[in-house]
Amino acid sequence: MRRVAVVGVGMSAFGVRNDVTIQELAWEAVGEALDDSGLEQKDIELSVVGTVNTRGYELMPAVVVNEYSGLTGRGPVRVEAACATGSAALWTAYSAVASGQVDIAIAIGVEKMNEVDTATSLAVGGRAGNYLWEFHMYGTTFPAYYAFYATAHMQKFGTTEEQMAMVAVKNHRYASRNPKAHFQFEVTLEEVLKSRPIAWPLKLLDCSPISDGAAAAVLASEDVARKITDTPVWIEAIGYSSDTSNFTRRPHYLGLEATRKAAEMAYRRAGIEPRQVEVAEVHDCFTIAEIMAYEDLGWVEKGKGGTFIAEGQSELGGKVSVNLSGGLKAKGHPLGATGLAQIYELVKQLREERERGRQAPLRNYLALSHNVGGTGHYAYVTILRR
Amino acid sequence: MSEKRYTKREGFKIPSIPLTYKHAIPVSKTEKFWKGLAEGKIYATRCRICGSLYFPPQADCSNCRGGDMEWVEVPEEGVLVTFTKVYARPQGYEELDPYIIAIVEAGDVRVMGWVMNINDESKIKIGSKVKIKPVYIEKHGKYIVGFYV
Repeated sequence: MRRVAVVGVGMSAFGVRNDVTIQELAWEAVGEALDDSGLEQKDIELSVVGTVNTRGYELMPAVVVNEYSGLTGRGPVRVEAACATGSAALWTAYSAVASGQVDIAIAIGVEKMNEVDTATSLAVGGRAGNYLWEFHMYGTTFPAYYAFYATAHMQKFGTTEEQMAMVAVKNHRYASRNPKAHFQFEVTLEEVLKSRPIAWPLKLLDCSPISDGAAAAVLASEDVARKITDTPVWIEAIGYSSDTSNFTRRPHYLGLEATRKAAEMAYRRAGIEPRQVEVAEVHDCFTIAEIMAYEDLGWVEKGKGGTFIAEGQSELGGKVSVNLSGGLKAKGHPLGATGLAQIYELVKQLREERERGRQAPLRNYLALSHNVGGTGHYAYVTILRR
Repeated sequence: MSEKRYTKREGFKIPSIPLTYKHAIPVSKTEKFWKGLAEGKIYATRCRICGSLYFPPQADCSNCRGGDMEWVEVPEEGVLVTFTKVYARPQGYEELDPYIIAIVEAGDVRVMGWVMNINDESKIKIGSKVKIKPVYIEKHGKYIVGFYV
């Protein structure tokens, strides 16, 4: 296995992007990533396109994206791992470079979610579990699945709706400083608590928005990376795992086993302890998800995630600075793009290129991304170091 | 509070040619489950070789790779493990009032279903005993698993 570096990143503005097609949106990220790396399309040997695209009219979008990006003939491999698709694309490109099959690869993540109405979008999302045994019979929605976790976590550990709301307040605050975020405004605790119920106990402002967006990362082998950039960001490890499609077959509803296992693999392969991580992007599709992530990623013991946010431990400069981009919650969550947008953010953090008020203080230059697919169906944990 | 700034870019659009999927789902291997609901029974499957119990029922044993399964009834009582009330309903469920979905532990399996006899989610407690029986949902013309706290 060869060392692999991220040598260029790009990201479109996230939000309602009814001004562009999927390929035009992807290009915004691809073009920026190429500029950032100083490379041209002819240098790229493999493209990996990650998109869920269950809401799209373009049913085989990878070749469309690839052609528009000027990458015809270089891939594409299309990957899908629900909301963890971007990380699956990263893993695929990383594996190709690490194994020596190619020296330079690009991972592209893109999602268009606003071309259909909200009810259709909810119906598509609700099928992300096991259609026949869950959505078909009971009308499950994505918020409903995470509400199952919230209800169980509240009952078992005394986690409160206020603590969940604090996650939204924190992530909106950082998003308000991020010009590429879907929501660039702050919210108050009271506004979150008074927002309308979506799936009890989750309210509108506990939920990530329905966003369009794209992100891309150019990866290179160590030899190549050292020649083309002074600021390579190394992929130290990518851990992965999965859980059952049937929600009823999960061992418990107090956290995500897939996250715990993926994190264990990533920490072991990178040779680091959880407490060494300084800055992280975690999968906060709902506020409860960020609270469970603190626990499952090993920053605080199981059940104490609510206290972790209440004590400000996940704020900028806390034990670990979490979701300084605004997270999925406020930056937005275009499924296929999310995992690579996390990498975009962390590469910028490690290069100390972020806006005032959301640049993490760094000593070890160690970052972690945590990307979940579905309701804990997939999990990827990536460790980056500068 | 700051001004509500967000990214929302609209532009000229044209409608797509609509695409409708209407699937015929093959459920022949779990037919007894689907027909059982109408007879008031909820079936799981158990592997005759290794004893693995499956709910939802499945025809193949992914544990021992055997295919010799027997149908067994899910207990009529269980304990509520977690729940939610769905206010924002998806396409296909918009006509129904907000509904409470719960997960119930019944013997050695967990079952998803709707709570039928309580409408106020604040009155439901995890750990409560519930009765489990199939219920007909008129608007959808289908049977589902119902819970009675």
